Amino acid sequence: MSIALSIQDVHVTLGHFEVLKGVSLDAEPGTFVTLLGASGSGKTTLLNVIAGLQQLDRGHVLFDGQNVERRPPRKRKVGVVFQSYALFPHMSVGDNVAFPLRAARRPSVERRKVVQEMLELVDLAGMVNRAPASLSGGQRQRVALARALASDPGILLLDEPMAALDKQLRERMQVEIKRIQQQVGITTVAVTHDQAEAMTMSDQVAIMHEGTLVQVDSPENLYRRPVNEYVASFLGEANLFPADRGGPLALDAAGQATGTAVIRPEDLVVLAPDQLGDHWRVPGVVRLLSFQGSRFRLEVVTATGRSVVCSLPPHTDASALVPGSEVILGCGAPDRVHVIHRSDAGDALEVAA
Amino acid sequence: MTDSPLRRSIGWYRMPILIIALLTSLVFYLPFLVVVTTSWTQTSFIIFPPEGFSLQSYTGVLTDQEWRDAFKVSLRVASVGTVIAVLLGTLGALALTRLRSRAARSWIRTLFIVPMAIPPVAYAVGLYSVSVQAELLQDNLALLMLGEALLAVPYVFVMVSSGLSQADPALRPVASTLGASWPLIVWRVDLPMIVGHMLAGAVFAFAVIFDEVVLSVFLTPIGVKTLPLQMLTASQEELSPQLTAASTLVSMLAVLLLGGYSLFSNRRTARARRLSRKAATA
Repeated sequence: MSIALSIQDVHVTLGHFEVLKGVSLDAEPGTFVTLLGASGSGKTTLLNVIAGLQQLDRGHVLFDGQNVERRPPRKRKVGVVFQSYALFPHMSVGDNVAFPLRAARRPSVERRKVVQEMLELVDLAGMVNRAPASLSGGQRQRVALARALASDPGILLLDEPMAALDKQLRERMQVEIKRIQQQVGITTVAVTHDQAEAMTMSDQVAIMHEGTLVQVDSPENLYRRPVNEYVASFLGEANLFPADRGGPLALDAAGQATGTAVIRPEDLVVLAPDQLGDHWRVPGVVRLLSFQGSRFRLEVVTATGRSVVCSLPPHTDASALVPGSEVILGCGAPDRVHVIHRSDAGDALEVAA
Repeated sequence: MTDSPLRRSIGWYRMPILIIALLTSLVFYLPFLVVVTTSWTQTSFIIFPPEGFSLQSYTGVLTDQEWRDAFKVSLRVASVGTVIAVLLGTLGALALTRLRSRAARSWIRTLFIVPMAIPPVAYAVGLYSVSVQAELLQDNLALLMLGEALLAVPYVFVMVSSGLSQADPALRPVASTLGASWPLIVWRVDLPMIVGHMLAGAVFAFAVIFDEVVLSVFLTPIGVKTLPLQMLTASQEELSPQLTAASTLVSMLAVLLLGGYSLFSNRRTARARRLSRKAATA
């Protein structure tokens, strides 16, 4: 059973601080949505609103079209995995997983059967009688996941699921959680500040910034077509140049700009003197060249002090690119340049002011 | 133990520290040792150093009807008082975790702890005026039990609160999202975590109540004496070695109770540590 989630214009104030300022979000049944944002952007609060652990001032939360904002957490049929996993320390792994079924007064035969199924799902079949304290971090997380899924909830909520794991385990568990989510086919909302994690697991990523959702889109669209400069520089490295309708402008023509061009480092190339032509280009001085395995990362400073980052293929002959040498960068893939036009709303506001 | 980094780093400083520690423990235990030795004197009055050795004052205390009655009364008062104190203290500590407002939490916590500093005589006089008004409460131990319980509530409250504060604050929210109603959360999540702390609170409460004399002076019915009251009157009438024998016995009881408890809880923490070490290697 998997539900469609709809959040409509939710406002939450904690003390005097407006944590959520009118957030709306929709998720189709079975999709994996990640709330991605810096700390303090309100993403965990939004998760708590969905779980029913946070009262909202205004707005609606709908599960399959039904208002649930007045429903207490225990009646929402949500499965939550907390950052700390919050396993009951005095219960065995099996009892932890069986807890939601016990709360629902299911018979013990069914409890045992579901515990077995759930532990098999998360690959911990032999661990029924172990104490949570005797498990490793990754195992604890999987127990928490099994417990959250045991009562067949309509939606799964993950609060910073990888925060307590070390880096290697993190990458494994991202794949593992995605597998389990797809196998169960459950609508899932996760919270993270790690963009790689968000990209690996999610169908949709919702970028949060200071209590609002800035953009909700697939990971690729977010990267290729960010709606504003914040999203562009939040996800991956981005070079922002002044632009008009036609594309990026030369740096000395910034005054005519009507928008911002986003050019990713991998779309920039170093131009040889005979390649110049009349294409768009940026002259600059090499500040740093570093080899990072799958690429060279070249950092160039323009005459106006702007820092530009360029990725070069790992087999590039980089001997000429010593710090201090002058280079000219061009765009290798003009069709992939994304221009953020200043929104009409923004202009209107400026006029009004 | 032979050459730990701590010992090496402390160096010669450790000699004065050791001496001060020894002196301090002497100050703690010397009076007690004096009391114990006077209890085995052969004379009929308290004298130090004791003359000869006999257990006659012990047999005296243990066979004397008055002492035995007083012991039984104290046992009853302490048992009932402890149960009430554990109940109230635990409920208070649990209720505190359910409060959202931080200001309210810290106020109520203070209000629960402050009674430790209020002199028992204040309770005694207050409850005494109540007993004068209510005939139902005269000629029985109910009011004394209640009063003693009130004195012990803060100890239980502090113990249980510390137990609750060690728990992951996400446990209750997670239980509620898993469908648990509040009675189930209290029964299956809160209580199992604080049983040990409730026990510790009970041990302290019992020790506090068993030793308490001021309330007994005011609130025991005529002709009934608690053990501390009996000791007090005995000390006023004659300084017989029976008094020190009784206090030795009471002290032994306290040592057994508290010592037994700390042994028990040490074993528990050792087990927990073993478990987490196993987890680290797994």
